[in-house]
Amino acid sequence: MLEIKNLHVKIAEEDKPILRGIDLTIAKGEVHAIMGPNGSGKSTLAYILAGRDDYEVTEGDILWNGESLLDMEPDERAAAGVFLAFQYPMEIPGVAGLTFLRTALNALRRKRGHEELTTPEFMKLVKEKSAALNIDIEMLKRPVNVGFSGGEKKRSEILQMALLEPTLCVLDETDSGLDIDALRIVSEGVNALRSPERSMLVITHYQRLLNHIVPDKVHVLANGKIQRSGGKELALELEESGYAEFGEKAA
Amino acid sequence: MSVAVMKTKAELSFAENFDQVHEQLPGSPAVKRARQMAADRFAELGLPHRRIEEWKYTDLRASVKDALPVRVGDATQMTIADVIVALGPLAKLDAHRMVLVNGAYRKELSSPDQLAGLELEDLASVLASGSEHTEGLISLTARDADAVLALNTAYMTDGAVARVQAGARLEKPLLIAHLRAGREPGFTAHRNVIEVGPKASVQIIEAFVSLPGAASEGQSNAATQITVGDEAKVAHVKCTVDTGEGITQLSNWMIRLGREADYSGFQLTQGVSLARNQIFVAFDGEDAKLDLSGVFLARGREHIDTTLVVDHAVPSCESRELFKGVLDDQSRGVFQGKIIVQQIAQKTDGKQMSQGLLLSPDAEFDSKPELEIFADDVACGHGATCTELDKDLMFYCGSRGIPPDIARGLLIESFIGEAVEKVENQPTAEAIMEFARGWLAKK
Repeated sequence: MLEIKNLHVKIAEEDKPILRGIDLTIAKGEVHAIMGPNGSGKSTLAYILAGRDDYEVTEGDILWNGESLLDMEPDERAAAGVFLAFQYPMEIPGVAGLTFLRTALNALRRKRGHEELTTPEFMKLVKEKSAALNIDIEMLKRPVNVGFSGGEKKRSEILQMALLEPTLCVLDETDSGLDIDALRIVSEGVNALRSPERSMLVITHYQRLLNHIVPDKVHVLANGKIQRSGGKELALELEESGYAEFGEKAA
Repeated sequence: MSVAVMKTKAELSFAENFDQVHEQLPGSPAVKRARQMAADRFAELGLPHRRIEEWKYTDLRASVKDALPVRVGDATQMTIADVIVALGPLAKLDAHRMVLVNGAYRKELSSPDQLAGLELEDLASVLASGSEHTEGLISLTARDADAVLALNTAYMTDGAVARVQAGARLEKPLLIAHLRAGREPGFTAHRNVIEVGPKASVQIIEAFVSLPGAASEGQSNAATQITVGDEAKVAHVKCTVDTGEGITQLSNWMIRLGREADYSGFQLTQGVSLARNQIFVAFDGEDAKLDLSGVFLARGREHIDTTLVVDHAVPSCESRELFKGVLDDQSRGVFQGKIIVQQIAQKTDGKQMSQGLLLSPDAEFDSKPELEIFADDVACGHGATCTELDKDLMFYCGSRGIPPDIARGLLIESFIGEAVEKVENQPTAEAIMEFARGWLAKK
């Protein structure tokens, strides 16, 4: 279970607050969506969960299965089950995709107390998972994300997610830059990972993604706070009315 | 106006050592005269210091405190198993080996067979014989004013004298292995003279490595001359990989390229306290291609300098340089790349890049590209970057569960990989990466 309690966050070395008291609980097996206007702090929330050090928590806590994530380094959070699918997946020139995947997977397996995979075991697993996401294995022999299209990058993120088997998936605007077909493939990939053991936080600007990944709950984040929470129908309502209401309320 | 400069302890020692050992150094009377001339030349020049433009960042007068005893006629007990240990990842290469220990050629440790198309002799024998090679050697050295090369000529004990026959395509690389062994710290001077005939093809690897338990101090002065014939192809690699704490290497590559020659040179330098790698390339014929690259890895207070001068003296040639340094602690990397495009050298295509990756706030990378272009129809460019490990990429790796030390290794490997990829021969490139990984793992 994820429990975010009165979370206040500012940019490190600056005084400007971004998140001003977030309270959010996601039970095991639930999928929550966070929607909100640009600049509302959605991506900051995603980064702070994964442990990016450009931000500073000034108040509050984030508990994951009862343990505070804030004391953990990014790789320790990953070992604890946290995974962030980036809005802008990074390119790593000179590191082949397969090398990267194998290094990550085996590092996680070691930390989770499992045996490392042998090369044949690893290749079998990658082939199986990448086929489901319509990813050509040749693509993974190239450097990580280098020269990939927007859609390829997002699919490669979901492949990483499928391989690393996290228990908390944070998807940061995974729909941005995707055409309809890519959106369907990516969503199917995400839905395949839905399980009673896995919690998900889907961050998006548009309702569109939530037609494919149907959430249990929807929250509206604006001005650093959750302004409203509701069921999946809240997303449809927002699509009608826009975010203006929240902008005004905050101002 | 002339100013009398005080000789440093090291300069005096180099002179004294020469007086002591020059009778034992190999060579015909003509060679002995050349040695004396070179020793005089060195005495006149002294160790290069920071007031000399080319040596601004690498002050030998300040950093070379003393001259170690000269190694002549070394007879350290060694076996082929020792050679394999010393060569590390290079031992896996299926290569024709010429092995030198502490500056002396060791026939019994070298490949016994002959390589078709290659005439290979040891320098000491050639110098003593007074053969035609000697003439070329002396004439080339005499007109060169560089103090480091003068020191080499004065003291050179051994090395490879190789001739690749016209049209010959050598099936195996020639591996010239310079081993440092034994507890006694010493000074060695190597000289390799290689002539590659027209349309020939060869890979030459120079390794400067040490045996476990070798003295932590050592000084080496190495010079390699290669003449690449018309339409010949040469891949040249130098791996200087040591583990001592007081290792100095001063090296010179002097390359001449014939018409349509294709030469690629790569240098790996790691585990040395002080290195100055000088590369001089002259284009003698049109439509030749040059590709120089290198990786230098330094930590502690190590200092590694790459200084190159590429002289486009004829039209329509291409030159590429890519040098990458990883610098930790208080180490310092230096890159000086001078590209001269003479007025006649129209249609020259030159590109240069040097990149430093600083792992510590106290590390330093000095990069000085110098383009001197006298022709008007050329395409030349250069770039230099100096960066830290990308924080965002470190975070990206971390978010995938990769711990910081492994992520750092991955990113450093990818940084230097771009330069190592220039080495066409796969097994050689892999050996270079293995050396580099060994360096990374030591942190």
